[in-house]
Amino acid sequence: MIRIRGLQKHYRVHKRPPGVKAALKSLFKRDYEWVKAVDGIDFDVAAGERVGFLGPNGAGKTTTLKMASGLLYPTAGEVTVGGHVPQRRETEFLKKIMLVMGQKQQLLWDLPPSETFELNRAIYDVPRADFNRRLKELSELLELGELVSKPTRQLSLGERMKCELAAALVHGPKVLFLDEPTIGLDVSMQVAMRDFIRKYNEEYGATLILTSHYMDDVTALCPRVVVIDKGVLSFDGKLEELVKRVRPEKRLTLRFSAPVPREQVAELGTVVKHDHAESVLQVPHDGVNTAVARALATLPVVDLNVENPPLEEVMSELFARSRAEREVAA
Amino acid sequence: MTRYLRLFGLQFRTSVLLALQYRFDFFIDAAIGLFWTATAVVPLFVVYGDASRPGIPGWSFGESLVVVACFITLQAVLDGAINPGLQAVIDHIRKGTLDFVLLKPADAQFLVSTSRFQLWRVSGLIQAAIVFGLAFRQLDRLPSVFGVLSASLLLGVATLLLYSLWILIISAAFIVVKVDNLTYLFTSIFDAARWPSSVFRGPVKFFFTFVIPLAVMTTYPAEALLGRLELQTLGFAIAGSLTFAGVARAVWLQSIAHYSSAGG
Repeated sequence: MIRIRGLQKHYRVHKRPPGVKAALKSLFKRDYEWVKAVDGIDFDVAAGERVGFLGPNGAGKTTTLKMASGLLYPTAGEVTVGGHVPQRRETEFLKKIMLVMGQKQQLLWDLPPSETFELNRAIYDVPRADFNRRLKELSELLELGELVSKPTRQLSLGERMKCELAAALVHGPKVLFLDEPTIGLDVSMQVAMRDFIRKYNEEYGATLILTSHYMDDVTALCPRVVVIDKGVLSFDGKLEELVKRVRPEKRLTLRFSAPVPREQVAELGTVVKHDHAESVLQVPHDGVNTAVARALATLPVVDLNVENPPLEEVMSELFARSRAEREVAA
Repeated sequence: MTRYLRLFGLQFRTSVLLALQYRFDFFIDAAIGLFWTATAVVPLFVVYGDASRPGIPGWSFGESLVVVACFITLQAVLDGAINPGLQAVIDHIRKGTLDFVLLKPADAQFLVSTSRFQLWRVSGLIQAAIVFGLAFRQLDRLPSVFGVLSASLLLGVATLLLYSLWILIISAAFIVVKVDNLTYLFTSIFDAARWPSSVFRGPVKFFFTFVIPLAVMTTYPAEALLGRLELQTLGFAIAGSLTFAGVARAVWLQSIAHYSSAGG
């Protein structure tokens, strides 16, 4: 469905040191530098797939999504979505896709969201019966209820975001680019959004690329992740593989009925956290069974849990490694 | 075409809904409009009030009032139908929310141009009608039917010219982002359209005829109403405005390619 080859986006930006002197100088002579926001990336996304597109701030995620949705023209390389070249902005293409941006809104501020829905229906040329059916489904999935008839300015951030999603989906797009769709939302609203996005993907068979700084979004929604840093891809594969590659250990949490000295726990693996009642250890994948058996046999264990390390840690380690590799290369 | 008419109807409906939310704007707009109408008319009393002054060559007081009425009409069209949507584009470019317009499967220029109307500025048209009435009472005659038709056509041409100039200014915003000063400059220059073009001489006359064709906007419709516009001039005005609109459209399409989608 989505095919990206050698995609680049380079910007020329004005560079100026701080201070009045530099500001005055820049009036007459400016120094520019080229920023490689995206620097030759390749990946494909199959129809109906859910892909997490991850990277630190300024990595090139949003720029890539904007090129894939036709907003930005690539400096080089190619991108096609459902056989269309996005930059041509063909009507058929624009009817198939939607870019949802958590930080920007399209709802008419002074009017109820229902007015924006109606306007989008006309713009996307959605037949009235299809529109009514889809809006009913969206209202149920997102629990919109009376929200659609209140002026947008009176809605809370979470309520607004739900309506933003509905406005973005009334034409039933087959490809969804979701750029931080849960930003600023409280935990329960984040969960509701994730549920909705998964259901939409399943019911409409929509292809989905998601960027988010909330790793819970990624864990809950994306079996596959593509990681970008400084405009270059550093990983493309299953989420589990990424975790295994960056942190080839499992995390073993033990809770005790009586205090246990740190030294005794350290015999089982690398201690991440320890107090007398609880220990968190890192244990190699193939050593988990042995460590669990030994813990149960030798320690007063009342509860234990084996899980992957938190994705936040995995990502921050991956980015730190990438930075270190770049510094060595430089 | 039908689809775009329907879209126009919906966008217009949205503006009606917004206007009804702020109904006091009508009275405020009408009061402010009266003030601006007065500022447009008062200078004529200064110029023609003193018999020792020569006035404007070739234009009596009543005839100059017709130019002022054309000016007030265009000002109302500019403030009510052209400025609101296009002014918002500058903001959209700065904030990056033009994304939503460019993502829609409809012509982006059409969508931004019809996105917002200030309906209460219709009060300007009422004031213009009053000034037209006063002017022809002063002249003690009525315009011919042909004069009214050709003046209406020329006011349409003037609207197209104003719109195209705005599109060119907005297009600059894709590259330089902050074009507020340019819009203020344009508004100030447009103010000169309240005078018959014969007050301008030499390079200024050339500038206001061919570069920013203020003469076409108000003096030509006034001359048509007064029954002294040559048919040839009407033809040139129509051809010129269509060319101008074509250039503005080409520049707009080029400018979209420079959109950098701020934020996020």
